[in-house]
Amino acid sequence: MSKSSTPRELLSRYLQAVRFWLPRSRTQEDLLAELGEDLRSQIEEKETELGRPLDEKEVSDVLKRCGSPMLVAARLGPKGYLIGPTLFPIYTFVLKMVLLWILVPVFLFIVGPVNVASAGGRWGDAWANTLGDLWSGLFVAAGIITLVFAVLERTHAPSWSSKWDPLKLPPLQRPERRTSLVQTVCDMAFSYFGLIWLLLLPHYPILILGPAKAFLKLSPFWHSFYVPILLLTLVALLRSTITLVRPQWDWFPLSAQLVQTAFTLILLNFMIHVAGQTHNAGWHPFVILADSARNSLQYARVVAIVNVSILLGLISAWLAMCIAALVQCWQLMRYLRRRNPGAQQPAHST
Amino acid sequence: MTLAVLVQLRTEQYGYTLRKALADDGLAIDEGTLYPLLRRLESQGLLVSQWREEDKRNKRFYRLSRTGEQILKQLLDEWQGINSSLDRILQEAGRI
Repeated sequence: MSKSSTPRELLSRYLQAVRFWLPRSRTQEDLLAELGEDLRSQIEEKETELGRPLDEKEVSDVLKRCGSPMLVAARLGPKGYLIGPTLFPIYTFVLKMVLLWILVPVFLFIVGPVNVASAGGRWGDAWANTLGDLWSGLFVAAGIITLVFAVLERTHAPSWSSKWDPLKLPPLQRPERRTSLVQTVCDMAFSYFGLIWLLLLPHYPILILGPAKAFLKLSPFWHSFYVPILLLTLVALLRSTITLVRPQWDWFPLSAQLVQTAFTLILLNFMIHVAGQTHNAGWHPFVILADSARNSLQYARVVAIVNVSILLGLISAWLAMCIAALVQCWQLMRYLRRRNPGAQQPAHST
Repeated sequence: MTLAVLVQLRTEQYGYTLRKALADDGLAIDEGTLYPLLRRLESQGLLVSQWREEDKRNKRFYRLSRTGEQILKQLLDEWQGINSSLDRILQEAGRI
């Protein structure tokens, strides 16, 4: 809507609009007065040049050349930002870590499968709910992180920028020893799935027994080993997560894998030993017949075959782990030799 | 730009005449840039200012402070040093 006004009134309206956008401060009125004086001088000069007072349109042209009130206020006012250059790189790093590497995997590999398992067959609804929750979660997390960094910006940023120490910079990365990102992410995804599968197993034995659940059930043997197996899976998950977030720790993947292999070997050894010591009816250490099939001769033969197969599987896994441990030991030694080449050939250095 | 403003303010001026003088010398500068710059230079002690009535209007006049004069001298020396270096670089490049 066009409002008819005198040229002077138009200038006052312009300054009023600039005042609206200009942050309140001690200098606000001072800046406005100075801007007003500048504009009045421009108008006055134009009037002297033309030899007559400017009309509304001509004053409007002068104001247009100066810029929109919002833009002028933004230029005149203090330069403000939510997160400054000191914290911005950390902010984007944390944002990426939390949103892409924590929230998305947690929702896709933990919350999603749990929702699906408890949805009673309504898989579509379960995934839709999961994705909806993930969407909201991403927004909430991004909001909280931004808020935290905005507070840090106003409280700690100046001190952080002066506290860095060149001696504490991460060591040079050796590209040839870095574990590939794809491999680490796959490791992580497998560990997540393994963990979910293990957590669901006590409630849904069908996940391991399949259709044989009708006549087989897991023996008490697994009660003793469930927690150690769960812990090993957690360790694997932790290992791949650390490998992902600390790629500069090039010593970590090999050493952690070797430690994990060693623990797996100990566990397998113990499991095979305990299975060998089992003396229940017909040697059924791993699975036993369900109550409904206890008198069936055919199922008794099946349960024996399954138990022997599991034992052979465990022994094969033990052998594979022994080979893996040897290979990993060799890889670690080769890595250590490469890392300290001087220790390997001191005589050739002269 | 800072250097040009400091040089111009060796003689007292108010915002509009300063802007005009800079524009006449080929360095056009808008209100939103000049006034925050003047405030910053004043807060750094390089300028002094005062509101005074002239032609029945209140205007804020700026001029270089004593510290401003010293800093301007240093800045001009630096500027001349950079100019000499650039001249040498350009001459060497011209020879090739």
